[in-house]
Amino acid sequence: MALVHLDSLYHVALRLTRNRADAEDVVQEAFLRAFRSFHHFNPGTNCRAWLLTILRNVFLNRVRTQGREVLETGMGGLDYAEVATEVHADKNPDEHFLQTMLHGDVDRALTTLPLAFREAVVLVDIEGLTYREVAEVLGCPIGTVMSRLSRGRALLRRALGRFAREHGYVKEEE
Amino acid sequence: MNCGDVRAKLHAYVDGELPVNEITDVDSHCVECRECAALARAEREFRQLLRRQPREAAPAELRARIVSRVRRESVVALGRPWLLAPIAAAVAAVVVMVLLPARTPPPLVAELVDKHIAYSQIDRPAELTSADPREVTEWFQARAGMRITVPDYSPSGIHLAGARLAEAHERKAAYLLYEKGRTLLSVFMVPVSASDATLPGRHVAYRGADYVAYERKGFRTVSWTDGQTIYGLVSMLDYDALLECADRLRAERTRQTQL
Repeated sequence: MALVHLDSLYHVALRLTRNRADAEDVVQEAFLRAFRSFHHFNPGTNCRAWLLTILRNVFLNRVRTQGREVLETGMGGLDYAEVATEVHADKNPDEHFLQTMLHGDVDRALTTLPLAFREAVVLVDIEGLTYREVAEVLGCPIGTVMSRLSRGRALLRRALGRFAREHGYVKEEE
Repeated sequence: MNCGDVRAKLHAYVDGELPVNEITDVDSHCVECRECAALARAEREFRQLLRRQPREAAPAELRARIVSRVRRESVVALGRPWLLAPIAAAVAAVVVMVLLPARTPPPLVAELVDKHIAYSQIDRPAELTSADPREVTEWFQARAGMRITVPDYSPSGIHLAGARLAEAHERKAAYLLYEKGRTLLSVFMVPVSASDATLPGRHVAYRGADYVAYERKGFRTVSWTDGQTIYGLVSMLDYDALLECADRLRAERTRQTQL
């Protein structure tokens, strides 16, 4: 069992729980569970994906008992049709403001995403998992990973665009 | 493939998740179609932005807590022999992982590597574009009141390209950018802070001085400190070249401070 994956798990837990204390609890619980069910782990398969699956289950259980997170694909106050249009129209590829974003902005923008989209974006874009690994972790078909990912990225872009305007990185409605 | 097909596959394309034949289809479409090419580029840049987010390492106490909990559970399991074999394997795995030298590099050096990667991806990494060491020295003095040593590596074919003020561990750092052909060399100078531990890593002696060598994400780093400043060199260049550059910077710095 791999404490080498500790940083990666902690990082994902931070993105899921959005606070350090909860992230630590979730990671610790996940490692203990992994330890107890280590005999179920199939050597040669992806250890990190296996650990992340456990981590996510621990997190979801906490959410169910503590009721802190909106579980399904709620749009976080954004209009679904609007997001869908943006995904498919993709009319503004010249996002110079992206170059000016600060790390804190990306963090904040990520926390505004509903869980279903946030986890897809975090696992693929930040943790670098393949679609297949993410499908395994999330327990859903690859097609679902792809659609959540593209919607998640569109939502994230929107949020970053909003920050950029708020902070004056770009002028209003460029 | 038409634009609609390409856009439907754009994310998978950028993520390297398309089968080879479809990659070449999208590639050839993008050669013809500037709009789709621009979308692919924007998508790629967006991913790079996300990829270069700093990652917070797990706290050391958490690591220690997990190890001690796992050990305690394995002791409990001694009373239940049927559980022993898998648990012994798991404990062995945990212990081995913990005893192995940390795979993650020291945080400051890791951050320097990430910055090197980030700067190499943007169009104009330098705030000041200059090949003149004196101009760069004066720029740092005027811009941030920093007295920086800017070594001249041009005899080795490594040319100064520019400089910028960077931030590392929430400290103002000087960043020098050099190029050897198309290979970048980043030189960082970060003020030492009380919170810095000694630089961990592989110690290398070169011309009588001690350096720390570390590799991360395919980049080589050589770092050292003179007690006031931490110097970090990051590049794809080999260690010989990096150590030679480090040695020259060190010598030049010593000469300047003695003046």
